[in-house]
Amino acid sequence: MEGFLGAWVGVGLTLFIYSFLYKDNPFFKLAEHLYVGVSMGYTIVRIYYDTMVKSLYQPMVSEGKWWLVIAALLGLLMLTRFIPKITWLSRWSFAFVVGFGSGVVIPRIISSYILQQVQGTLLPLASVGEGGFRFGLAQLNTVLILVGVVTVLFYFFFSIEHRGAIRGAARVGIYFLMISFGAGFGYTVMARMSLLIGRIDDLLLYSSSDYGYATIVLSILIILGLVYWERSSRKAVKKADMP
Amino acid sequence: MLFWKRQFPLFIAFVMGVVFIFQYYIPHPYSEGMLTEVSEWLRIITGFAIILGIASLSHLHYKKIQRKEPGWGYSYVVYLSMIITVVVGLWSGGKEEGSGLGWIYNYTLVPLQGTMFSILAFFVASAAYRAFRAKTREATVLLIAGTIVMFGRVPLGEYLVSNIGGLAEWILIVPNTAARRAILIGISLGVIATSLKIIFGIERGYLGGKE
Amino acid sequence: MRSFAEKMLAIDRRWIFGLIALATLLPLLYPVGLPIRPSPQVKNVYEYIEGLPEGSVFLLSMDFDPASKPELYPMAVSILRHAFKKNLRMMGMTLWVTGTGMAEKVISDVAQEMGKQRGTDYVFLGFTPGSSAVILNMGQDLLATFPKDHYGVPTSELPVLKGVRSLRDVQYAVSLAAGSPGIETWYVYGKDKYKFELGGGCTAVAAPGIYPLLQTGQINGLIGGLRGAAEYETLLERKGKATSGMDAQSATHFMIILLILACNLFYFVTRRKDTRRR
Repeated sequence: MEGFLGAWVGVGLTLFIYSFLYKDNPFFKLAEHLYVGVSMGYTIVRIYYDTMVKSLYQPMVSEGKWWLVIAALLGLLMLTRFIPKITWLSRWSFAFVVGFGSGVVIPRIISSYILQQVQGTLLPLASVGEGGFRFGLAQLNTVLILVGVVTVLFYFFFSIEHRGAIRGAARVGIYFLMISFGAGFGYTVMARMSLLIGRIDDLLLYSSSDYGYATIVLSILIILGLVYWERSSRKAVKKADMP
Repeated sequence: MLFWKRQFPLFIAFVMGVVFIFQYYIPHPYSEGMLTEVSEWLRIITGFAIILGIASLSHLHYKKIQRKEPGWGYSYVVYLSMIITVVVGLWSGGKEEGSGLGWIYNYTLVPLQGTMFSILAFFVASAAYRAFRAKTREATVLLIAGTIVMFGRVPLGEYLVSNIGGLAEWILIVPNTAARRAILIGISLGVIATSLKIIFGIERGYLGGKE
Repeated sequence: MRSFAEKMLAIDRRWIFGLIALATLLPLLYPVGLPIRPSPQVKNVYEYIEGLPEGSVFLLSMDFDPASKPELYPMAVSILRHAFKKNLRMMGMTLWVTGTGMAEKVISDVAQEMGKQRGTDYVFLGFTPGSSAVILNMGQDLLATFPKDHYGVPTSELPVLKGVRSLRDVQYAVSLAAGSPGIETWYVYGKDKYKFELGGGCTAVAAPGIYPLLQTGQINGLIGGLRGAAEYETLLERKGKATSGMDAQSATHFMIILLILACNLFYFVTRRKDTRRR
């Protein structure tokens, strides 16, 4: 029964959102605001149980980690942002969090993103071994990656004027960027279509007799609702235009 | 008083920043213990920060109702749905399995959030039709790369043109990797610069306020 | 010809919406089932899990929310089936608050399907806020980060976590990520210091940006988008939602390509006439 009712609610809300494809309308607005409210409510529940109870209250009470009250105080200080007279107290918490984040990120990003990425770029451009000098596809790819990284970095170097050789390098970098953005576009299309396929698949599932043809019935009802709303809006506009 | 409002927060940021830069290079148990403890505190503080975000959003809708702005009635929907979800969630003890909270999650939040983002598929298609034109050489290169990737990453494309999948993969592994790597290095340098500015008090935007 | 081209360029976008809807719907109603060729990036993740000895500790971080469910949920299902088939000690968690319910559902459903016991064969740690702080905390002391699992059972008492103190005791971690926090966060704050092997699964939007990490070996494999999920299902020889969605994926991609070609054709027709008039 819960699944049957849930299917009708889920399909209804899905079709409310899709009604935006016709135009912005009260069904969509209702679903949109419902989404905001439910997300907020769910987040509150999760934070209460997963942070306040499990990570704060229980360790303090059952494990004797009383010093966690300092973390709780810092957290409460953040909420003083809403009290104009003492809003400056929230700066202590933000400074703590932001300072920690800034300190922790610097060595890790140097290691992960700069050193290791540069290391991955500076690979042997040709191999010399028992078979002699070899320059195959793998080596060509290595050269292309090196050229690509260097030329794109040149493109983003805006502190010097792009003239002569630098301009040439930057132009090559632009083409690498365009290929990358093209690939990004292709994958973005793939992602968005996948999301749509997933939702349509669910709508098809709920159109079966097991769920009382929820998709079909609700689609008809919502279309009728939109027609009625459109007619009422037009009548209201005509009335307003009349002298 | 100005010290506590302005200098003291900058001092906290400086100390935290410098300590945790050097902590990375000090494998001593006390150093590791400090990292463990402070990261535990951060998890708790982040929970409060999320509450701050929710309170801010609630305040926005409260103002909307107070000023009777267009669509203010829908703000009541936000409050009502939030309160119902919290009440049901507390009654369910925070558990989703076979509970009211689980029902709300599976049959309202999942379809709503899923559909909200899937609707972008239609707009991507419409935008591609209206704007994706080969007006310049660069745009043509972008268009060709995008087409090869779209063609090569689906079974039908690989079935029609046998090596297109390999070409699409090559585009991702070589030119795409090169460009993204350069962007990643650039962003990393920017993050380091910004972090240093925060630690040394040059960047103060995160503090907010005028004083 | 020109007026037709101009009319087509100015067409109401709802016709395009209709075409996309049809391109999605028809293949789902009338599937064809074309073969799917697994890529080396997906094979690397599969083969690493395949090569793990029984009883190895495997961490699956489901860092996504309902918005990315169609792409990442099938990946989670396949990976969990594979891990349970290999009798690995499974740890599930999420760094995304609104993903908690889905993460809990997928691990419970697949565990039940594979006859696995909560606490003995797997644990669902749940969600805790903090992103990078969570990973750092887990790297230092996993049981302090999650003193209780999602269901309120003390983690120190769970047989599945016996001998697991921190991320250093994890043999393989996979982050299924819809953005940040995600694969990069797990690498920068996790693998870089705590030296466990890391694989990734991500939405197709994020995939091109992860390739630099893949090329350097910072992650050992990548399952990208619905296509990646379908490839994993093919390797596992167990078709699911991802495989069934690939026909619709083919149709929609071709529709987009046709739309782009059409718009460029109409654009060049109108531009040619403009040039001739001058």
